[in-house]
Amino acid sequence: MSDAVQPGDDGARPSGEGREPRIDGRRLRSERTRRLIIEAYIALVRETGHMPTAAQIAERAGYSVRSIFERFPDLTALRVAVTDYSIAEARATGALRDLDGDRLTRIRSQVSQRGSGCERWLPLWRVLSSDLSEAPDLQQRIGMIRQLIVMRMEMMFRPELSLVSDAVRKKTMLALESLLDFESWARMRELYGLSFEEACSVWVKAIDRLLPQTPA
Amino acid sequence: MPTAVQIAERAGYSVRSIFERFPDLNALRVAATDYSLAQALALAPPRGADGDRETRLRSQVTTRAHTCERGIALWRVLLQFADQDETGQLKQRVARSRETTITRMELMYRSELVALPEEERRQLLIALEALTDMESWARMREQHGLSFDEACEVWIHAIDRLLPPTPVPVATSAAA
Repeated sequence: MSDAVQPGDDGARPSGEGREPRIDGRRLRSERTRRLIIEAYIALVRETGHMPTAAQIAERAGYSVRSIFERFPDLTALRVAVTDYSIAEARATGALRDLDGDRLTRIRSQVSQRGSGCERWLPLWRVLSSDLSEAPDLQQRIGMIRQLIVMRMEMMFRPELSLVSDAVRKKTMLALESLLDFESWARMRELYGLSFEEACSVWVKAIDRLLPQTPA
Repeated sequence: MPTAVQIAERAGYSVRSIFERFPDLNALRVAATDYSLAQALALAPPRGADGDRETRLRSQVTTRAHTCERGIALWRVLLQFADQDETGQLKQRVARSRETTITRMELMYRSELVALPEEERRQLLIALEALTDMESWARMREQHGLSFDEACEVWIHAIDRLLPPTPVPVATSAAA
C-alpha cells in the first residue's frame, strides 16, 4: 500500500535528491483515523439530534474508545475539532454566488444557500452550540461562524448597505442576523410546518423589506 | 436548572415537600413555566394599541424587550428541557408562548397588516417573530454589547422596515 510505513520511520528525514518525497504513512493513517472519528460524530448527530457518547462514536467509526482519546484529550476537544471540520466543509461548499446579480437575484441566492446550509447543519449547530459555558474554544468558534454568516450577507448586499450610515447598516445587519438564524429556519420548518420553498419565500420577502434601496 | 435540594433550600421546605406536590422535576418545570407565562402576560399588557405607528412600534418593542430581559434565563432552561420532555407539555408551552408573541404583534400592527393578503400576513408575522425572538434580544445584549435602548432601536428600525405603510385614516384623506 502507498501509505505503508516501516517501523521506526518517523517520516521526518529529508528525502534524497531526485527521489520522490517520502510519504509519512503513519501520519496519514492517524489523520485518516482522526477524520473518521469526526465524521462518525457528525453522522450520529445528524441521525439522532443528540450529542453522541464516546462509545457510540467509536462504534460508528470502527475504532476503540481508546483510539478516540489518543487523538482528543476529551470530548470537548473532539467537539472543537468537529466544529473546525464543519466550518471548513461549509466554506468549501458554500461559495458566494450571484454577487453581481440584481437585488432579487442576490437575495434569492443568499436565501437559498443559507436555507440549504441550515437544513444541512442545524442538528450539528444545536449540539455544538449548546452548553458552551465551560468550552471557551467552542464559544470562540461559534462566534466565528456567526461572523462568517454576517460577513457573507455584507458582501451579498454591499450595494444596498454601501450608501447608508454606519448606524443604519449596523441595525440592518443585526436584524438580518436574527432573521437568518439557524433557529429561525428551524421554527419555520418544524413549528410552522413550511416547506423549504415556503420558508425561503418568508426570508426573501423579509430581506427585501429590510434592505435599503438599491442604488441606481 | 436547579436541583431539588437547591429548590427546597431556597423555598424553605424539605425535598419531600416538593415531591408531595409535584410527581417529578418535569412536572415542576411545567408548573414554573405556566406561572412565568401568566406573570409575563400580567406584566406586559398591550399598551398604545390605538396610537400612531411610531407609538405602537415603541410600545410593542419596549414591552417585548422587558419580557426578554426578565425571561431569558427561564426560557433557555425551558428550551433545553423541552426536547427531553416525553410528555410534550414543555414543547406545547414553547409553542403557546410564541403564539402569544405573534398574537400581540397582530394586535399592535393590525392597521398595517390588515391590508395584506392572508398568506403574506402570515409570512410577515413569522419574520417578525424571528426578529423579536428571545435569543435575538440576548445576542444584541450579550454578544454585541448593546444597551437596552440601543437594542430597542434595532428592533424598532427593523419592524418599521418590515411593516407595510400605515393606511391613511379616511377622515384625514378626505380633508386633504
